Amino acid sequence: MKNVLIIGSGISGLSCAISCAELGMKATILSPYVSERAQSVLAAGGINAVLDHSEDSIESHIEDTLKGGAYIAGTESVKGLCTNAPDVVRWLERLGTVFTRENGEISRRAFGGQSHNRTCYCGAATGKQIVTALTMEARRFEGKGLIRRMIRCDFYSALIKDGRCYGAVVFNENTGKMELIRADALVIAAGGQNALFGKTTGSQLCDGYAAGRLFMQGVDLKNLEFIQYHPTTIKTVHKKMLVSEAARGEGGRLYYLDGDRRVYFMEDKFGPGGNLMPRDIVSKCIYETHKQVYLDVTFLGKETILKKIPEIYELCQKYYGIDISQESIPVDPSVHFFMGGIAVRNNHETNIKDLYAVGECASIYHGANRLGGNSLLAAAYSGRVAAASIAKSAEEKTASDDEFKDELKAAQDVLTNNGGTKDRLTVKYVRDMLAQIMNRELGIVRCEEELKKGIEDIEYYIGVADETVPDDAELPYYTYSLKAILVLAKAVLICAQERRESRGAHLRSDHPETDDGFKAPTIISYDDGRFTVTYDREGRYES
Amino acid sequence: MRVRILRQESPDSSPYWQEFTYECSADQTVAGMLEEMNSLDDLKDAEGKKVPHIIWECSCLQGMCGACAMVINGQPALACETFIRNIKGDLITLEPLRKFPTIKDLAVDRSIIQEKLLQENAYIEEYKGSDSKEYDHQYLAGKCLKCGLCLEICPNYKGSRRFYGAAFANDCYLIETRSDVHKKDIKKSYDDHFAAGCSKSLACVDVCPMKIPTLASMAKMNRIK
Ligand SMILES: Cc1cc2nc3c(=O)[nH]c(=O)nc-3n(C[C@H](O)[C@H](O)[C@H](O)COP(=O)(O)OP(=O)(O)OC[C@H]3O[C@@H](n4cnc5c(N)ncnc54)[C@H](O)[C@@H]3O)c2cc1C
Repeated sequence: MKNVLIIGSGISGLSCAISCAELGMKATILSPYVSERAQSVLAAGGINAVLDHSEDSIESHIEDTLKGGAYIAGTESVKGLCTNAPDVVRWLERLGTVFTRENGEISRRAFGGQSHNRTCYCGAATGKQIVTALTMEARRFEGKGLIRRMIRCDFYSALIKDGRCYGAVVFNENTGKMELIRADALVIAAGGQNALFGKTTGSQLCDGYAAGRLFMQGVDLKNLEFIQYHPTTIKTVHKKMLVSEAARGEGGRLYYLDGDRRVYFMEDKFGPGGNLMPRDIVSKCIYETHKQVYLDVTFLGKETILKKIPEIYELCQKYYGIDISQESIPVDPSVHFFMGGIAVRNNHETNIKDLYAVGECASIYHGANRLGGNSLLAAAYSGRVAAASIAKSAEEKTASDDEFKDELKAAQDVLTNNGGTKDRLTVKYVRDMLAQIMNRELGIVRCEEELKKGIEDIEYYIGVADETVPDDAELPYYTYSLKAILVLAKAVLICAQERRESRGAHLRSDHPETDDGFKAPTIISYDDGRFTVTYDREGRYES
Repeated sequence: MRVRILRQESPDSSPYWQEFTYECSADQTVAGMLEEMNSLDDLKDAEGKKVPHIIWECSCLQGMCGACAMVINGQPALACETFIRNIKGDLITLEPLRKFPTIKDLAVDRSIIQEKLLQENAYIEEYKGSDSKEYDHQYLAGKCLKCGLCLEICPNYKGSRRFYGAAFANDCYLIETRSDVHKKDIKKSYDDHFAAGCSKSLACVDVCPMKIPTLASMAKMNRIK
């Protein structure tokens, strides 16, 4: 029986584990915390699928996705995603996801950049309800011995030999030791790169380490410069919180004040549907106002608000002290989603054989900008695609632990390494500096000079990363993950510098036009400290 | 403001109180305050002695993941939903959930919640079709964070020997009303591991961050023959 090791237990990891078990393989799914803590539970708005063909069509979902992504996502992969979306939603429904329903069918709402209402939802807790259903289903297979869940474990590195992956080294918090877990295939489902920016709308658990570490091990990364700023977030004292697109889906209007006059700038520019333009466009327009922008839902009335978007009502009241049925919400764009990540082919395999990436950490469907509702879909779908590919093509491996004793020894040495000389910086300080640099140089609009400066600054911290003072209380993971996160940050900045055009979520003040010479995904690779950027014009990853 | 924290270095070591003097915005949450304190290179206790940073669990920081459940001024609560402005007086005490083994400081091992669900085969297997009357209730039951607050506050819950508490009862309800496959088994598990031990204090209902109507789950489950 094939053994699959999955890193991360959000929707993509769970979907992959369950699909592996359905296909008669054994899956080990590993994460620091249980699935209930994964970022997936924060997803509020919904998951896209064309369920009703009377007005909507799969072709339209495909076109909206490609267009939303500024035409650099692969047509074949997007076709696969959208064509299978109804099956994915039905599968989630069969497993018990509590979808909101109307007239006997799953309810759908409008989401940005879509020509029809096709965002299926579970009240305002779509991600949470999906996680609940998937967790229960994973438990069923756990009972049968086909899924093993390991909690309090962190990824360290992949076991790679001659272009093939044999499993991973992980840090087991329970034993305090590095451990080898051999597998016939390794699937990375570790989520986005939030830690690069310190605080985002998402979870603290998503730090980009796995992508950074694999990059240093020879795995290609893709489209890193495309970072989605969600147009409507509120800044509270301790976090940037998302005001879901559902607010605008239900009719919410964006405006700024010119004296006492409200300027509905999105509607002025794009007509009545202006508030629901794709996120890259809305964020850019908000940025260009150079003013405080407000989101108004008061006209919906308290009853509708409490019925349709109760969580938004509660969130704003609890964390912001405003009653959104009486007052407009002051909103700002904040970092929300990473279109870039680990480069994968259409079967979700990386450039290393038997090493896969799924969910937000993989870059494939969203091109230069993701449409709301497409990432929950991508997370659930990609887990299934990877499992099917592994069932078909991975070989049962006979390698022994002994073959990887050097890798294990090197990992164990990291735990006892206390850095170098005195006057060193603390890990916390370097992480704070990283977030400062990234927020400064990778805002909604970027330029050459700032990106160059960002790269220089990050290079300095990469140079001292091995010498930092470990935190006296935090887990070793917090320290050993630092360098790879910095390397990833440098790769993001380089990709942003190299793309000298504006496209989707990547806007350059010094290159404001879209340039068809760049109409291809960015691939970045790493070799012993050297970063190489190419553009995948031949569709190397589109097969 | 005085902040007293019950600290513990490892699962086997003894807990001890440590006091800090710390000022932060009234709009800050306890979670935000812990983050602020931990962002100091030199965290010092009230006597000025440098002490290790405080270990606690967090993920979403907005009441949606249940990681930061702890005991705040004697009350079990999520740290990210407890605002400094609502603390009475100038003392905040923080303790780990006491009904779970401590891993370190405010971080506890709640894996027993998952172990019992696994042991009792708590899964739906195949959804039997929707029942619009149950939707609102199922939606709320589906939001359970498995944070452990309901178990911490429950007078009957003593570490899961036989009685598994509200988190278990609500999952039983969700399974019973959405699945035909093992209805009977789940009802039996509910009777053995919830109904038989619950004295209906209902403290679990008030403490639940997701406002899950456990009483309604019980009513539904108890009615099944
Ligand atoms: C506030 C918010 C609202 C959203 N709303 C929507 C929406 O309405 N619709 C939509 O389509 N999308 C939405 N998204 C995006 C969507 O939620 C995510 O893209 C998706 O859930 C990602 O799932 P995932 O499985 O890839 O990752 P995650 O759910 O982030 O899971 C990652 C897992 O990896 C683990 N992990 C991380 N690093 C390591 C490591 N080093 N070792 C071991 N484990 C590790 C984590 O602990 C976690 O278990 C939203 C996002 C946010 C933040």
